[in-house]
Amino acid sequence: MAAELLLAAAAALTLAVVFAPPRVRRASLLTRGLLGLAGMAAIAIAPTLDLILLILLVLAVLQAGLVSHRDFAARVRAPVLAIALLALGLAFERIEGPPVLLRFGAVGLVAGLVAAIGLLPYLHEFDPEESTVASPIAWIAFVGPLLAVAVLARAKQVVPADAGDALGAMLIGLGLLNVLWGTVAAWRTETDAAAWRYSFLSDWGLVLCGFGLAIADGQGAALMLLLSIVLGRLPLYLSSRQAVRDRTATLRPINLLVAAALAGSAPFAGFAARIMLLRGATQIYWPLAVVLAAAMLLWLPASLRLGRSMGLPRGRQAIGVAVVLAVSVFLGLYPQPLLALAGL
Amino acid sequence: MIEAAAALVAWLGAAVVVLADARRGLALGLALVTAGLAALAWGTGQPIGAIALAAGGMTGALRCWTAAPGRWGLMPPGSTARLVLCIAAGLLGLWIAASATTAPGAPVLFAVLVVVGLMAARVLAGGDVIVDRTAIACLALALALSPSLASSIPTGPVPYVIGALIAAAVIVAPATMPQGAARSGKDGR
Repeated sequence: MAAELLLAAAAALTLAVVFAPPRVRRASLLTRGLLGLAGMAAIAIAPTLDLILLILLVLAVLQAGLVSHRDFAARVRAPVLAIALLALGLAFERIEGPPVLLRFGAVGLVAGLVAAIGLLPYLHEFDPEESTVASPIAWIAFVGPLLAVAVLARAKQVVPADAGDALGAMLIGLGLLNVLWGTVAAWRTETDAAAWRYSFLSDWGLVLCGFGLAIADGQGAALMLLLSIVLGRLPLYLSSRQAVRDRTATLRPINLLVAAALAGSAPFAGFAARIMLLRGATQIYWPLAVVLAAAMLLWLPASLRLGRSMGLPRGRQAIGVAVVLAVSVFLGLYPQPLLALAGL
Repeated sequence: MIEAAAALVAWLGAAVVVLADARRGLALGLALVTAGLAALAWGTGQPIGAIALAAGGMTGALRCWTAAPGRWGLMPPGSTARLVLCIAAGLLGLWIAASATTAPGAPVLFAVLVVVGLMAARVLAGGDVIVDRTAIACLALALALSPSLASSIPTGPVPYVIGALIAAAVIVAPATMPQGAARSGKDGR
């Protein structure tokens, strides 16, 4: 699964560099993106969670060192908390103590993962004027997907079955919370830039639910959703930044198409992922599927808003948006080869 | 007995980092954490790891010590909450390491728990760049020692070397200043 996400991140970086608007410094974007990709590759091949934490610390310090409007302390706070929570959780899982400590360890691992991705409320300051590579979006949409897969894969090696159930339950609970919080906030928040950020949280809510289900359908849905974040929502967010700054909202067919892709409608990638997630939830506990199905309707108003906020892409950006939509349709229509590659 | 003393030295160093606001105090704290964790690494049969931790941590501490302005800044007014935090973290770590677990290696567990916990608290509390960097250096050293808690996986010197490199580099690397109110037209996306 990590290899697929690494390739997807590389593709997203390529899209971002090739279809970037003229005002963007391509060389700088490419250099920083490649640095991030190198870190992600190191995370993917790291044999233990301890090494992943050290690599994560390097990435966090490097990102916090970039020139930005926010100071070093503000940017390093969330990753350091995440690393500390993951390290404490890992330490609790490794000691031969009472079962309650193992469950505390599971809490630490999930809380650390959520903090590392950027889903903890109030911890990640979001400045819409900040460059994307220096902002929390880099964690939530670029590094985060591969990191989550790597951390959960390594965590399964150390978490015993009893605490593993607690870990899955927490993932589902936090996932539902993020689904509701993210969709409602993306719909109701004042600024379009903040709405885009919240929309990432809502997608991540479904991802966490998929990981929490711990069956093939859940894992497959999580992978598809992560790919739709990296290859869909992230490039569309980058394309929308100028229009969001200029506040040039439009309602043309392209905006409706983008809204449909963001909402996970057929035939885009999000649709296949949602079907798999509902099928998995039905297998585990059918009321969860009912809650998820109801929550998925909340994507509609937020996605319409985000689609309108893109404005009318022109020239190179229009080509970029078309490529993203085509990739999403392809993933939505033919998910099976990808899932087979990931062993699902 | 030596391992227990080393763990207490690591806790003392972490407490000094939490209680200090200036470079000399931070350097002392980092040096104590380095000494404690390096001794623990040596005790777990990782001489190369111990030497790496000592080299990386002491490089950072030396750089921190020599950088101007040289003040201690230990326990400035309003440090009561931080002092209580250090003592509470020490007691909690001691309870978990010595009472709540049955595994050997309690000193290593105590050191990892208190250093990681206190450094996270230090970064969350906010402060000068050098404060955060020192806390990150200590965190890297503790993370490097953490694999020795696992009896099932072989722990070579790699994590120690990486942790030591981070600890040294994060202090030595030049700091970038946040951009001012004036924003340029170009961005890195």
